[in-house]
Amino acid sequence: MSNVASRWSVGWAAPILGLAIFGIVGACRGTTIPASARSADAVTPERGEVLYSNYCAQCHKADGHGQESVGAPSIAGLPQWYVKTQLMNFRQGIRGAHFDDIEGLRMRPMSLSLPAQEDVDAVSLYVGTMRPVAPAPSVQGGDAGHGSQLFTTCQACHGTDGKGNEAMGAPPLTVQPDWYLVRQLGKFKNGVRGADPRDVKGATMRPMAQGLADEQAMKDVVGHVMTLR
Amino acid sequence: MIESLVQPGSTFAPDIDFVINLVGGLVFFWGGLTVAMFFWLLWRYRYREGVKALYVTGNEPELKRWINIPHYLIILCDLAIIGFAVQTWYKVKQDIPPVDDEIRVVGQQWAWTFQHTGPDGKMGTDDDIKTADVLHVEVDKTYQFTLESRDVLHSFSVPIFRLKQDVIPGREIQGWFHPTVAGAFDIQCAEMCGIGHGIMAARIIVETPEQHAAWLAGAK
Ligand code: HEC
Ligand code: HEC
Ligand SMILES: [Cu+2]
Repeated sequence: MSNVASRWSVGWAAPILGLAIFGIVGACRGTTIPASARSADAVTPERGEVLYSNYCAQCHKADGHGQESVGAPSIAGLPQWYVKTQLMNFRQGIRGAHFDDIEGLRMRPMSLSLPAQEDVDAVSLYVGTMRPVAPAPSVQGGDAGHGSQLFTTCQACHGTDGKGNEAMGAPPLTVQPDWYLVRQLGKFKNGVRGADPRDVKGATMRPMAQGLADEQAMKDVVGHVMTLR
Repeated sequence: MIESLVQPGSTFAPDIDFVINLVGGLVFFWGGLTVAMFFWLLWRYRYREGVKALYVTGNEPELKRWINIPHYLIILCDLAIIGFAVQTWYKVKQDIPPVDDEIRVVGQQWAWTFQHTGPDGKMGTDDDIKTADVLHVEVDKTYQFTLESRDVLHSFSVPIFRLKQDVIPGREIQGWFHPTVAGAFDIQCAEMCGIGHGIMAARIIVETPEQHAAWLAGAK
């Protein structure tokens, strides 16, 4: 008698357990982004921080110092307007959609994983408030002396102190790592970045990179930029 | 069945659909029968006042038949599946038709990039056309593709072609397809490759000869 009863209860346990697992999985999915951060039109740094830790921190790190192994630069200290332009460029395939742009192709889907335009605004706002980290130089063989001569062409837009100029759309060069700056110069020169017909700002930067003779010149000018910090 | 959900768009898609439908149909039949049987037995031998449960060892011939007969029938079904699967495998993997054009497909975290042969039809020359996220091909031509990865495992999946091939870093893996319908369709990654895996999508544009010529002319 009791034997039969216990068989029945085992028979029912399986589907109930199944439903429970579904429920738990469903509940966990909902916790990825707290409900407070979901409310649209909340373009605040607080919301930006939540989005940043969910979508960006794994590569750019919680304090924004980046991670060289995945090619992610430090972005803490980049101004809000520049972060936003770049995110929009990535989202629209103006940047990071070139066959040879290995790192950009990696960043592009991350920019697209922000659900809405308000999220782009909020995360840019937050990144703009992060304290600059400016990782230590790691590129070898740059001649900062020669670089300071080359940098005279750059000053018009990036400023004599390399702090950038919003009116020209030119970002500061003093917060990113040197390996990243050298790589970007190469990308501009080879048309991997800044060559999209829609990339109006990138088009002003491209000829500047083309004016640098070779990789040595790029290392030199970046060597000088490192002295501006 | 499956073809009503995803339109078949390559020469080998109908063969693959056939095998999938066959397997699906047989599984559905036997699975349905088993579940029906299970509930029928539950009901037939439900608890009754004063009736003691019977102990069966499972060795009684008249009871074992319930297992043996379906077992042999299912083995027959398996043999049929294997026969058709081998035939399809042969068509897709061994009986490769003459190639009209080549495509280089490069997977990376998290994008598909493509190298087309360009106007001269030769891979590795200056007029090659490189794209990210979009692959342009012409309908009714046979393409040989070479898959490469820049980092980790990916899988090149084109549902409309019924094509899914793993991409392995360090290897150059070849295959072919022959599109039969024009239009724009999905390409996806079918191997977990990191956080962006779920959005590692691209489009394949299957063009008519005129459209393809126009694209070639405009791309350079
Ligand atoms: C999978 C790693 C990864 C994740 C996650 C990621 N990024 Fe990036 N990010 C990169 C890489 C790699 C680059 C460098 C691209 C290049 O070399 O052109 C980059 C570049 C950038 C740039 C351009 C910096 C500059 O100086 O031009 C910005 C801005 C940026 N990321 C912001 C973000 C934000 C905001 C998020 C979160 C929504 C995010 N990233 C998530 C990898 C990542
Ligand atoms: C005509 C104005 C102008 C001049 C001159 C100029 N730049 Fe730029 N630079 C820009 C703009 C605008 C951008 C941002 C492009 C974008 O929005 O993608 C940029 C971006 C960059 C970047 C990428 C920064 C990042 O975070 O990704 C580097 C590196 C750079 N410039 C270095 C230089 C160097 C070195 C020189 C001198 C050889 C120089 N630039 C001269 C306008 C200029
Ligand atoms: Cu992938």
